[in-house]
Amino acid sequence: MAESLALPRDTSNPVVSALTVIAVQLAGALFLRQFLLIDDWRLVIGLLLLFGAALVLMERVPSLEARVEAAFARHSRLALLLGIAIVLAFPFVLEGNTYALHLCVISMLYAVLALALNFQLGSANIPNFATGASYGIGAYASALLALNFGVSFWLALPVAAVVATIFGFLLGIPSMRTRDSYLALVTIAFGVVIHQLLNNLEFTGGPNGLVGIPAPELFGHSFASPLVIFGQELPSQANFYYLSALLVLISIVFARRLHDSRVGLAWNALRTDELAARCQGINVTWYKVLAFAVDAFLAGFAGTIYAFYVGFISPDNFTFLVSVTIMTMVIAGGMDNILGVIVGAFLLTLLPEKLRAFSDYRILFFGVTVIVFLMIRPQGLFPQRLRRYGH
Amino acid sequence: MGLTASSPVVLEGENLTMRFGGLVAMAEVAFTLKRGEILGIIGPNGAGKSTLLNIITGIYIPSSGEVRLEGERLNGVPAHKIVARGIARTFQSSRLFGDLSVLDNVIIGRHTHTKAGVFDAIFRRGRAKAELDAAAAHAETLLKSVSRGLHEQRHRPAGELAQADRRRLEIARALATDPKVLLLDEPSSGMDDADTDALMDDIRAVCAQRPDLALMIIEHDMRLVASLPHRVMVLDYGQKLADGPYEEIRKIPRVQEAYLGRKAAQHAGA
Amino acid sequence: MSELFLQQLLNWITLGSIYALIAVGFSLLFGVLNIIHFSHGDVSLLAPFLALSVISAIGSALGDAGSLGTFLLALLVAIAITGVIGVLLDLVVIQRFRQAPAMMALVATVALGIVLRELIRHLFPNGSNPHAFPRLVEGDVTIAGFTIPLFSVMVIVVSVLAVCALFFMLNNTRLGLHIKAVSQDRDAARLMAINPGRIFRATFFVASAIGAIGGLFFSSYAGMARFDFSIDVGLIGFSAAVVGGLGSMPGAIIGSLLIAGLDTLVQATVPNGASYRLVFVFLLVIGVLVFRPSGLMGRSLVEKV
Repeated sequence: MAESLALPRDTSNPVVSALTVIAVQLAGALFLRQFLLIDDWRLVIGLLLLFGAALVLMERVPSLEARVEAAFARHSRLALLLGIAIVLAFPFVLEGNTYALHLCVISMLYAVLALALNFQLGSANIPNFATGASYGIGAYASALLALNFGVSFWLALPVAAVVATIFGFLLGIPSMRTRDSYLALVTIAFGVVIHQLLNNLEFTGGPNGLVGIPAPELFGHSFASPLVIFGQELPSQANFYYLSALLVLISIVFARRLHDSRVGLAWNALRTDELAARCQGINVTWYKVLAFAVDAFLAGFAGTIYAFYVGFISPDNFTFLVSVTIMTMVIAGGMDNILGVIVGAFLLTLLPEKLRAFSDYRILFFGVTVIVFLMIRPQGLFPQRLRRYGH
Repeated sequence: MGLTASSPVVLEGENLTMRFGGLVAMAEVAFTLKRGEILGIIGPNGAGKSTLLNIITGIYIPSSGEVRLEGERLNGVPAHKIVARGIARTFQSSRLFGDLSVLDNVIIGRHTHTKAGVFDAIFRRGRAKAELDAAAAHAETLLKSVSRGLHEQRHRPAGELAQADRRRLEIARALATDPKVLLLDEPSSGMDDADTDALMDDIRAVCAQRPDLALMIIEHDMRLVASLPHRVMVLDYGQKLADGPYEEIRKIPRVQEAYLGRKAAQHAGA
Repeated sequence: MSELFLQQLLNWITLGSIYALIAVGFSLLFGVLNIIHFSHGDVSLLAPFLALSVISAIGSALGDAGSLGTFLLALLVAIAITGVIGVLLDLVVIQRFRQAPAMMALVATVALGIVLRELIRHLFPNGSNPHAFPRLVEGDVTIAGFTIPLFSVMVIVVSVLAVCALFFMLNNTRLGLHIKAVSQDRDAARLMAINPGRIFRATFFVASAIGAIGGLFFSSYAGMARFDFSIDVGLIGFSAAVVGGLGSMPGAIIGSLLIAGLDTLVQATVPNGASYRLVFVFLLVIGVLVFRPSGLMGRSLVEKV
């Protein structure tokens, strides 16, 4: 039957498939741990080759990929619980390495940004070179609230997201009329305007930015102090690790629910053919603006956490290059594929950091990697998949 | 039911004129379409057939004249709202959502009958999911009724379908909007005779299941025009040349020569 | 007419001409290839570095780095090499994205721009720092009692000539007609035995060479060559082409003059205008595109259904 082509059924032993899930997740976690902890660039390259080999294997042997996928579909609950357990336990296996923990936090914030952009770029194919600007608006809005009005992190978080969303709507308005390259330029222009304003206005601190953003507190525990769990002391970055992990989880839930909803379908429809989408009754204009707003909303959250995490922000954290990097994460990871986008975000955050041996050549290397990647694997690491119903 | 002498008019156009800059693509065309009626539209390329469809569906705004659906003016109503009011269409060069599954294509056709927004999708997932599952169930039934073969391929990407199935899917997607009027833009284009015959049977079946549905078909294939529509309207240079049963319009010599072509004229005479 | 006003007017047209030389390349490439070559600005601003390299190469080989002849030769060589680099980039990278979605090509060429800037930084001696770049001509002329710098006169005259030559080439030569044919319908052109690959290469050469003139003028105008000049200048050239309407040469020129005009006006009238010039310029870009979604002279997007 044709059906079996599209819906791989797991016919193997349930124990085997459960073990597959466990093995794949543990292997992923182990890989990330080693990647974070090693210093020697030769080992970094070695691990990357290993990663590449795994991808090639998956592509060459589709039955293997299908089996892993089916195993995850069958044991989705196990996969979820184990995934959460791994994320919770991860800081404990980093040997108290604060730099590794720091990289995890930054990678997760970029994962949120990439997931945010994915609504637009992946689901609806709307170019947006201003996610970095929305990220900056969130960061500045919350930092200004905290510095000038003593607003706590927990209140600043939603307020900054709302501010970013309002700007997202504003940015979305031109998308009602412009398209493609023209829309791309509108978003680039918006990003430049925001960056220049942050750079020149007095109350944003000009090029020096804002300093002394206080660390958040929760039930009397300051996020600037070490985190003690079960008698184990973790560096202070662990506070933000768990906070960012929570935000990533929320973003994944958002992304999945929207993808599997009427809204996600409408975005996919206008991605392929705007006119045909209109002729199915989809208010294309509204859905485009909505995509901008959702992107800005999540980016605003990420910006707030970033501001309170590093304690100082400046316009140079939110440039056009940041937006381009986020776009690349989505494209390289796999448009409209949640796992792909997250992997893309981790890879492109960690890669330049891990190649510090080439310190001065990092940006060059980054540019070359992006080009080569787009040339040899334009569909991304994990291409988009068809939806399924009745599960 | 179906078409009777007393069937009410569902869709009518009056004085429809369309100018693009200095070019007049359509001049004072009027038409009516009754409930349950099938209206064929013929005419040479550039005669204004597609322009008429685009005006009715709100893609173009006519320079003058008006379109009324059950007495209500449609001028200025945006395309996506016209769908909600009950006019659905297909395209000459079938415009499916090629990277989505066949089933998803039809579910998207249910857009105007579902409501969930961003907030529902995230915070009231149960409700949103139930609604979408119902839409999926509806879409499955619809696919099955339009074509069993298509239903069996429902999990394939629409872009992989064969030409005839693409047409069927476009019709199913349009029917998913629960239209009162269905507009088909050259459904048989790019298909051979066998495929066209099969498609005609499918269209007949669709109409038999929905006796109230009014159809407007733009066609070049004279076998289809001869057998399917109750009435045929002939357009030429943006003007209405004739309007009547096929048996009548095919006798008009100018129609025979200019619009049916010599071969079709022989065919009609045979 | 006051002296100051005249000075601003000249400044406007000079800057507008420089932007236009870069913007026409963006527009030409889009018209023919239907993709955004975002790194066109970076290619254009390779020219000043190439010119400096040629001058120092001639200097070390012949001990003749200062003469006018050397300088002119260096400029011509730089323009030619830039054109060739444009062609090479197409062969190595950009042609892979001809069939890809527009966003892929855009992101890839953004990355290409990063690579080009970094290459200048690493390959040119002391490339991270600014390098003095000479005024192409010094001195003033007096016309009707007004003193006008010769440099402005030269920039304007050369730009007008270059653009006229481009128009002439597009409208009156075989190559130009082929370029137009390919930009209108690639497949039809192929049927008429036009080799699109050759046309693409020719277009890249012409666009990059004209951009190189703009790049040389810009460095000369600023008095220095910097590896990161192309970020702003490239973006402004791209904006001018888009505001004017991608694919339209007159549009690119009008867009350049419009942006240069606002740029000059803001710097002359708004307090602290130099810091806010990009804010105004890009708000203008957004404003124009909201009201004219396909640019001032762009082909409107009526879709065939």
